[in-house]
Amino acid sequence: MPPDILIHNLFYAYPPLREGDEAVPVLKGINLQIARGEFVALLGRVGAGKTTLCLALNGLVPHATGGIFRGDVTILGQNTKRRTVPDLARSVGLVFQDPESQIVQMRVEDEVAFGCENLGIAPAEIAERVAWALAAVGLNDYRERSSLLLSGGEKQRVAIAAMLAMRPQVLVLDEPTASLDPAGKSAIFRVLAELRDRHEMTIVMATQELERIARFADRVVVLHEGQIGLDGPPQEVFSQVARLQEWGIGAPQMAELGHLLTQRTGRPYRFTGMADAYRELRRQARKLHMEKLRRLPLNPTPERSHLLAEHPQIAVRKMSHSYPDGTAALKNVSLEIPPGEFVALLGPNGSGKTTLAKHLNGLLKPSQGSVTVENRDTHTTRIAELARLVGYAFQNPDHQIFAPTVQEEISFGPRMQELPRAIITQRVAEALDRFRLIPYADLPPALLGFGQRRQVALAAIIAAQPMTLILDEPTGGLDWRSQQEFMEIIAGFNTLGRTVVLITHDMRLVAEYATRAIVLLDGEVLFDGTPQGLFGRPEVLDQAGLALPPVTRLARRLDRYGIAADTLTLAQFAAAWHTRLAARRRKRKVGGPARPDARAARPAVPGAGQNAGILSRSPDSILSQSKDEAQGQHGA
Amino acid sequence: MAPNFDLYLRRDTAIHRLDPRVKLAFVVEATLLTFLWPSIGTALAMIGVCAVGFWRARIPAAHVTRIFRLVAPLMVMVFTLTAVFGAGMGTPLFTAGPLTITAHSVARGALLALRLLALATIVFLWLFTTDQATMVRGFVALGVPYEWGLTLALALRYLPLFAALFEQVRDAQQARGLDLEQQSFRGRLQAYRPVLIAMMISALRNSEHLGWALEARALGAPGVRRSTFRPLRLRSADVAALAVLIAILMTGIILRFL
Repeated sequence: MPPDILIHNLFYAYPPLREGDEAVPVLKGINLQIARGEFVALLGRVGAGKTTLCLALNGLVPHATGGIFRGDVTILGQNTKRRTVPDLARSVGLVFQDPESQIVQMRVEDEVAFGCENLGIAPAEIAERVAWALAAVGLNDYRERSSLLLSGGEKQRVAIAAMLAMRPQVLVLDEPTASLDPAGKSAIFRVLAELRDRHEMTIVMATQELERIARFADRVVVLHEGQIGLDGPPQEVFSQVARLQEWGIGAPQMAELGHLLTQRTGRPYRFTGMADAYRELRRQARKLHMEKLRRLPLNPTPERSHLLAEHPQIAVRKMSHSYPDGTAALKNVSLEIPPGEFVALLGPNGSGKTTLAKHLNGLLKPSQGSVTVENRDTHTTRIAELARLVGYAFQNPDHQIFAPTVQEEISFGPRMQELPRAIITQRVAEALDRFRLIPYADLPPALLGFGQRRQVALAAIIAAQPMTLILDEPTGGLDWRSQQEFMEIIAGFNTLGRTVVLITHDMRLVAEYATRAIVLLDGEVLFDGTPQGLFGRPEVLDQAGLALPPVTRLARRLDRYGIAADTLTLAQFAAAWHTRLAARRRKRKVGGPARPDARAARPAVPGAGQNAGILSRSPDSILSQSKDEAQGQHGA
Repeated sequence: MAPNFDLYLRRDTAIHRLDPRVKLAFVVEATLLTFLWPSIGTALAMIGVCAVGFWRARIPAAHVTRIFRLVAPLMVMVFTLTAVFGAGMGTPLFTAGPLTITAHSVARGALLALRLLALATIVFLWLFTTDQATMVRGFVALGVPYEWGLTLALALRYLPLFAALFEQVRDAQQARGLDLEQQSFRGRLQAYRPVLIAMMISALRNSEHLGWALEARALGAPGVRRSTFRPLRLRSADVAALAVLIAILMTGIILRFL
């Protein structure tokens, strides 16, 4: 059988942003064959051409976008150059990232029927197809619902159903889960896996969801600099950790752990998943009788001295908030946030995270109780004044971008503060440099790619240098490297004694950066404490739909071999494992001359440099502890 | 959280069930009658009829007051302008410099303002009780090209989204230090410029994506006659309602011109 998708030597460049500029190619010679029933994940950095490739599969590239297009894309034997997009829609369904701009009807069943109507299918058959498609995405009871009142995850499932009803053989999805919470993401992946298994659909999905790809996809195609860098089953592709990290794409946490352990201990470790990692490490631990070693308590994250801790930066006292229609969004919330804290604000969508965050800069006022920011009551202080104290990065960068050039965009905050011109220029230059935006300084920000627009939006907020920074899901849709670079900037901002409030669903970020975790559920504070404390409360995690990071789960399972159950990061795990391994080996050699183990004393591993942020926190203390222990045993 | 005000309110009432064409006939007829009798009485009567309609269709009071809030500024403007500048013949009520206000101009202002309210209630009665897809089907059944109907449907679909977008953009800009709480009208107008620009950009981006999404859903597939998932059928209740509407219209015209 010929492949469902056949891409031959595809070269594509968008029309240039400004007249006279040269067109920059996005895809430079793509060759790809995808067979029926394959679930292919498309990986790559932001701007690597994933979206372009998706759009090329249903003909929007080049029919709607223009530009220079060479080579051939053949879908089920039809060359996309010779077919219109609506015609290709019979064979290829395309689901976009933003659920909002693809839902065109106000009623779910009308939405699903819309494509069929356009294809002129008889009403009786449409009814059948609508029922089938809604069942396939698990929304049988949603036929008459208003599409405006669905959650993000439900909207994306409706969008998928709307494509399914047209009975395409190929389903293409462009980062469909980027803006969803964990429950929404899982639902989408389950639906896709089922479509492949039960209906032999061919699925191509551009995504950054490394962990879920490893579990669900049959094949991973990595786009790097406009070409296909790696292509193979997930285990194979993700075993190339070093290369993936170099390319800025990253790998699932277990694969990264294997890589880090290999570097650390000099022994080969290669994990494809949790089960695999557990089996291998347990085997070694048993062989070396690690359970007999003295347990090492994990160093708690060093408590930072808060000189002004008794003067909270932000104080929320018995605060409640109701919407104009009377629904209570927040109930009796009390919090004190001292300066220099890194707070992660967690909870499912609709739990009140954003509502709470908007109280911290005065955009919303409490219905009851009070909120004070640096001793100013938000009730009586102008938002413009509070904005100097509290920076707020919104989820969607497009909501704040308006200036004609990147430079002016970034200078807006400082100008609003009426700072001297020299300082403004300096801050803008710094921000441009730090976010690598210098080449774009004079371009209109609205025309940049999504990743860059997000960088511009954040640069603009950091340039205003607020004392507190609120980030509303800032890393959604960012690739591994961009995420890490971004978090480094935030961590740097935080170490200057400034406060960070991070709204996120990403438990890895919580583990690696936060000093405090606050979980909201139905407008109430369900948990408030350290990340370690949170990770030790499975019932809280369960209720809030949060999952432990894989490395913490692994550490819990290896608890009896002395890996602390509250291990949060890869670096902590690797350090702990290395220490136990080294200690065990030395014990075995009791009597013989203690062989100086060069690796044991090696500080941060060079390859882990990309994890510098992870290492810069507690692991140092673990390392020094491990050295102490090693010395103690040497001395004996 | 974005306010979700879909104009259509799903209920199972006789008014909701009426064929969209019949409801459209009502809108046209009520509008005609309002203009046929340019009197405060007709305008009030229309508002009364619509009020009964809202009650029968079980539309909550909050929705009805929202129409009023929407139209009130316009009404005030129309009333003042007509009362102040629309002075024709008649005894002046009082004079201030070059401005003369007469009983006639006040009455005329009141009429125009009330007529505005009447029109708004008529249209909203229709919007509240007819869902977007049905409305479009009604237009298409009456011979309007599908693309026009779809454009209307999309406008209705994106109206609330734009309202929400406006709020989000305003929040985002305020959070960056934009001072919208200024006292002077001009100052505030000036301050809203960034908000409007950011909104325009977002709206344009949305509309480009929307165009793509429509194509990806086979809109305009070559050589295809579009089918309809839920075709319209006139039931006997619809025919009866239509007959009543026609009878009222005929009576109205006869009474007016004889």
